[in-house]
Amino acid sequence: MIKLSQRLLGPVTLVSLALTFWLGLWVTPPDVVQGDLVRLLYVHPPIAWVALYVSFGTATIASCLYLWPRTRSDVMDRVAYCAMEISVVFIALTLITGSIWGRPTWGVWWAWDARLTSTAILGVFALAYLALRRANDDPAVRARRSGVFAILTAINVPIIHFSVQWWKTLHQGASVLTSNGTLNVHGSMLWTMLLGFIGFTLLFFWLLRYRYRLEVKRDFVVATTVDEALALRRREGV
Amino acid sequence: MVDLEASAPLSPIDPPAAKSRSSRRSIGVILVLIALVVLLLSQGLLSSLNYFETVDQALAQRGSLGTKVLRLEGVVEPGTIVRTNAGAAFTLTGSGDHHVFVTAHGSPPQLFQANIPVVVVGHFVSSTSAYFVGSQIMVKHTSSYIAAHPNRVRAPNGTSR
Repeated sequence: MIKLSQRLLGPVTLVSLALTFWLGLWVTPPDVVQGDLVRLLYVHPPIAWVALYVSFGTATIASCLYLWPRTRSDVMDRVAYCAMEISVVFIALTLITGSIWGRPTWGVWWAWDARLTSTAILGVFALAYLALRRANDDPAVRARRSGVFAILTAINVPIIHFSVQWWKTLHQGASVLTSNGTLNVHGSMLWTMLLGFIGFTLLFFWLLRYRYRLEVKRDFVVATTVDEALALRRREGV
Repeated sequence: MVDLEASAPLSPIDPPAAKSRSSRRSIGVILVLIALVVLLLSQGLLSSLNYFETVDQALAQRGSLGTKVLRLEGVVEPGTIVRTNAGAAFTLTGSGDHHVFVTAHGSPPQLFQANIPVVVVGHFVSSTSAYFVGSQIMVKHTSSYIAAHPNRVRAPNGTSR
């Protein structure tokens, strides 16, 4: 069952994303105010969802599980690292697609409002996490430090989420995860956007799976190289 | 009998130099990133947690604001937009019966129209004036997305069929 779902992950991701793009570009109607600019709705919010909640969330949960002695394992550390790496890509995509949407709608590529600035800060935190991992070669120390760092920086995620409610921002409020539970996206636009959420979430897990495999192989190569080097030194010595 | 001490250079390769160089570089990168966070905080969050002042707030604080540059938010009143060579002139309304008369330079954004909330960067002409000179117009669109139905017929009572 697990193998089947793993095999299906790639094709289902591809189909759901292709369907999102087809519905978003050709089937859904233009918006009453934004016209065809609304088609970025099917890309930008799902990418931001993956960047903030899915990938950064996975990295944070995996870090918590690593730091908790009962669930501590290399698997959790690797998952946290791989998820954070993917998070960097999705945060960058969030800022890029947001800028592309912001230029024709707001009239500016960038605004120093609380939502945009706090998202940029999250991107810097994610980069700092990756830099921190390179600062120490001891796997246990590296995993512990980066785990603590990931949990501390995750405080920024609810700040980003609620920034549009707490402060006056140029960025509009929530359309789906609203404080009163109402949906501000209508009809086929809503379903297409939700399909985008599913597609990009599946894309994250597909990327995570392959990035994790790569990390396992990399660890194996590093361990093998060290072992071989030691064996070579011993042979040279005798 | 092999004399290990004499025949084999068993002293390990010395990696700490490269390692410490790599660590120093990583710490340097982290310091740069920390500086970037501080810069972002000072540029964005700390200086403008609230990105704009509403028309009502700005008019209430007009005396203290004087001719200081601020971001003013309000809804573009229908029938007041006049396109000029330099930009546009229009009236902004607040939640109450407050109005600010705006003359903005530069081309307005694509979505600029009547009844849409906008944020104008600029300043009041004086501490008692309701005239505002803007250098940039930004459209603050809502989070509602409604399909456009160009073929729908609008009934005399305002409903669409």
